[in-house]
Amino acid sequence: MNYTFDFNAVSLGPLIEGLIVTLELTVAANLIGVILGFPLALLLMSRIAVIRWPATLFVEFFRCTPAIVQIVWFFYCVPMLFNVFLGSMTMGILALGLNLMAFNAEAYRAAIQAVPREQVDAGIALGLNPFQRVFYIVLPNALRASIPVLLTNGIVIFQQSALVAIVAVQDLMYQAKTLATETYRPIETFTIAALIYFAVSFPVTQVVGWLERRRQVLTS
Amino acid sequence: MTLDFSVLLRFQEALAVGLWTTIKLTLICVVLGCSLGFLVGLARTSPSIIVRGIASVYVEFFRGTPVLIQLFWIFFCLPLVLGVELSNLASGVIALTLYMGAITSETFRASLKSVGREQLDACIALGLPRHVQVVNVILPQAVLRAVPTLLSNCVSLFKESALVSAVGMADLMFVGQNISNNTARPVEVLTIVALIYFAIAFPLTRAVTLIEGRILKKLAI
Repeated sequence: MNYTFDFNAVSLGPLIEGLIVTLELTVAANLIGVILGFPLALLLMSRIAVIRWPATLFVEFFRCTPAIVQIVWFFYCVPMLFNVFLGSMTMGILALGLNLMAFNAEAYRAAIQAVPREQVDAGIALGLNPFQRVFYIVLPNALRASIPVLLTNGIVIFQQSALVAIVAVQDLMYQAKTLATETYRPIETFTIAALIYFAVSFPVTQVVGWLERRRQVLTS
Repeated sequence: MTLDFSVLLRFQEALAVGLWTTIKLTLICVVLGCSLGFLVGLARTSPSIIVRGIASVYVEFFRGTPVLIQLFWIFFCLPLVLGVELSNLASGVIALTLYMGAITSETFRASLKSVGREQLDACIALGLPRHVQVVNVILPQAVLRAVPTLLSNCVSLFKESALVSAVGMADLMFVGQNISNNTARPVEVLTIVALIYFAIAFPLTRAVTLIEGRILKKLAI
């Protein structure tokens, strides 16, 4: 290969700006996903079919279609169907947030179902009412158990957020694409952008691994 | 606005061709990716620190960066690095195989680990030779336990394969976007495209749950 690398051709400024947009998207989507995922999980486990079915459909739809289809759909179809015109950033946050909400709801549901039955029975024996049982026994247990999965889902959304570049939100991926075309240096630009993504997500995956190992030690 | 799904009837064939590309790409990468993943999974348990190190860097890097950027890298940079022209299909296959290899290697690693230490001790107590231990005791259990997760890996791959549309490969998503741009009917076209993806991925995820239940019961774990 006779290609001379020139990493100086890549200006970091736009990439950093892009990273900030990516992080904003990630944090906002995570806020939606973590907070609204829990009530959605409760709906998923409802005994009433009319409540359970729409919630299940929502979750399965987001889990079984490609994220890129969801994002493109959101950008083209929501304005046409509902006649609302939001900024591209808001649209990006909503699309990613709803996607994450579906995945987190599954994580919460698994964690809630993993709370041992005896604990709830003990709650009944102690004379706690249903609300107290959910709030003081099930919720803290389930939250703690779901933290590793929530973190993993959060980092997946950080990576999926690169998809909004396709609909022209100026995130890290978008800036990298623009820079690569402007400078004719795709190798250097995409390598640096990939390393930036990696530098953010790798520490989080290490934390998740550590949390899981600690949990195994504690429960065994 | 009024919805008119009949426009899609004219594009049945185009959508079918796109879907076929998506399925073909997914199947090729499932086979190649699982094989790669199995080897990498073994490499990560290797006693040699160099082999283990290389395998870990590969897996962590591909799991730690967006698939979109991996695709862009392989489409635009790999031909420059290698100095050869790569066809769209070849680049797509390389990118998605590497992605699939990284995620399935984790699946294989976890399932190899889940085979209890007692089993190996029992093999030693019975005086079984090493290759019998691996082929007849460890491998069947590991593969069986990996099946549900491998299936969900396949579903992930199927979904991620839609990304190749961003680099101009004519898969289902690409064809759908083209039709929606030409007919100015994004709502109908994109909804149908999403439903086609759903119609394939949803039964597969159900199968995962079903197999999980069956296998868990059968193996009593």
